[in-house]
Amino acid sequence: MSYAFRFLDDIAIADIAFEAEGDSAEELFVGATRALLEVLANPVTIADTWQRQVLKREGNLDDLLIEWLSEIVYWKDAAGVVFRDAPLTLRGENGGWTMKATLIGAPVDGERQELRNDVKGVTKHRYRMERNGAMWKVTVVVDV
Amino acid sequence: MRLNTDMRVNRIADEVWEIPVSEKPGMLVPARVYATQTILQSMDRGVFDQVTNVACLPGIQRYALCMPDGHWGYGFPIGGVAAFDAQQGIISPGGVGYDVNCGMRLIRTDLSLMDVQPRLERLMTELFRRVPAGVGAAGAVRLDRSELTRVMLKGARWCVEQGYGWHQDLARIEEGGCISGADPSTVSDQALGRGINQLGTLGSGNHYLEVQVASNERIFDAATATALGITGQDQIVVMVHCGSRGFGHQIASDYLKIFEKAMRRYNITVNDQQLACAPFRSPEGQDYFAAMNGAANMAFANRQVITHSIREAFADVFATSAEELGMQLVYDVAHNIAKVERYAEGELLVHRKGATRAFGPSSAELAPEFRQTGQPVICGGSMETGSYLLVGTDRAVQETFGSTMHGSGRTMSRAQAKKQVRGEQVQRLMKERGIMVKAVSMSGLAEEAGFAYKNISEVVETVEGAGITRKVAELRPIGNIKG
Repeated sequence: MSYAFRFLDDIAIADIAFEAEGDSAEELFVGATRALLEVLANPVTIADTWQRQVLKREGNLDDLLIEWLSEIVYWKDAAGVVFRDAPLTLRGENGGWTMKATLIGAPVDGERQELRNDVKGVTKHRYRMERNGAMWKVTVVVDV
Repeated sequence: MRLNTDMRVNRIADEVWEIPVSEKPGMLVPARVYATQTILQSMDRGVFDQVTNVACLPGIQRYALCMPDGHWGYGFPIGGVAAFDAQQGIISPGGVGYDVNCGMRLIRTDLSLMDVQPRLERLMTELFRRVPAGVGAAGAVRLDRSELTRVMLKGARWCVEQGYGWHQDLARIEEGGCISGADPSTVSDQALGRGINQLGTLGSGNHYLEVQVASNERIFDAATATALGITGQDQIVVMVHCGSRGFGHQIASDYLKIFEKAMRRYNITVNDQQLACAPFRSPEGQDYFAAMNGAANMAFANRQVITHSIREAFADVFATSAEELGMQLVYDVAHNIAKVERYAEGELLVHRKGATRAFGPSSAELAPEFRQTGQPVICGGSMETGSYLLVGTDRAVQETFGSTMHGSGRTMSRAQAKKQVRGEQVQRLMKERGIMVKAVSMSGLAEEAGFAYKNISEVVETVEGAGITRKVAELRPIGNIKG
């Protein structure tokens, strides 16, 4: 099982775009999640003193991923935290999808953490999830 | 002339270009771009695609406009202006901008460069300490949900009542710092959750707090400058650029989802999902307008609390009260908003996204303070170049629904900028040029390097040449705080 992500130069001139891929839908979610955490702060500089369980259900993967990424942005603001990791599992059931994740991080601390961009939201601009055989790919633009 | 579009673009005045309705199916009005030939050639394809998409929206009046600082945005281009019939037209979060009431504020002082230079390091440290910036930063003012509701209803007035400002500040804020019609019941719990810690915070991206100098040789209209409190002689001023933070963005995201469904019900189709809209007079449209007004008031309050922190920092460093330092507001103006205004066509809902209201002296809506000068317009350049104080004109009211530019506009993506320079390098080079920078994020600083932006002076010359704004003063940075 593997995932990858890369940042894209020319998709959003004033904001940040990334492409994530995975060899399963779950790995795709892991890749997109890692990319967003990297946009906010360098994860290796973040401690693990804060945790939040997240359970999300949606009828399709497109909506589920955007809702999940938006939830990460929500907790960044609502709890004033940045993130080290977000292990997750994804399951298709009853015509929909369920994701269980644990957001792990720490309160913002500019002295100890390498902070990057304060993402304001996850947009649907050029948002596209594709499946090619076993490989999944998504393009995401975040507003900073 | 090579442009980043295949559409026909006709020059109809020195600084005005028009794309006729024949260039895209569904255009209801022509699109007009304000630009010199050089600026037009540097504009990305998104500007042309998006301004013509806007020209297709129901109820649009006269033209879909783009200012010379225009570039690609979500739905509308940044720099986009469009007015819709207030009865038959639509309202669109993509036309307001997701950072509702992102805007500019300028504060004057009686201090000169000679007073500040020896204490600049301490002043910048104090400002950096008192004005939280960057990822997840929480403001010094702690609110509960009921208090945030009052902020939504009262805007900067709430701040003045709580001691975070002076009563006379209010006359120098667009709409007196409080837009009527906000309704907290139209705002989601998620938006409240995101906004509750954010009052008095700068954010990141292109938002900043800048200490600047107004020199005699960069004042273009001394009488107007004096009337606005800009006296020159290396006078120190402070500029703030920020908005409603995650609170406003959450409102925009919430209503985009609602509008996507509503469009099917109202049989509206758009060329871009980010142009999701609803009839202004529909329940969904009215709810978004009420929520957006609440976010706009939160943004006025945000900049007011930041102003309070700035005044405290100056008072501390110079051991003199802010009143004695003459730290009055010059003006505070939104550049991401939709407002109902009256024009020849009747009552219109004017969307300005990365565009500033620029009412001329004859405008009855202006506070008495600005009936001689016209409304102040504050335009931020990149952190390496100057910014401008301008004033609106009566011609803007006639031609552009009382609108003009808001800043310099990017020419290079954040990822590209970061590949060319490191934040530490930007910081060092700026220090060599006499600009002290304090930043939460070094990668964010690299993304904001001056070369990633258009030349603001050329953008300003365009709007002055077009007669929709007049130059008053150029303001040169000496200290900058970024998230």
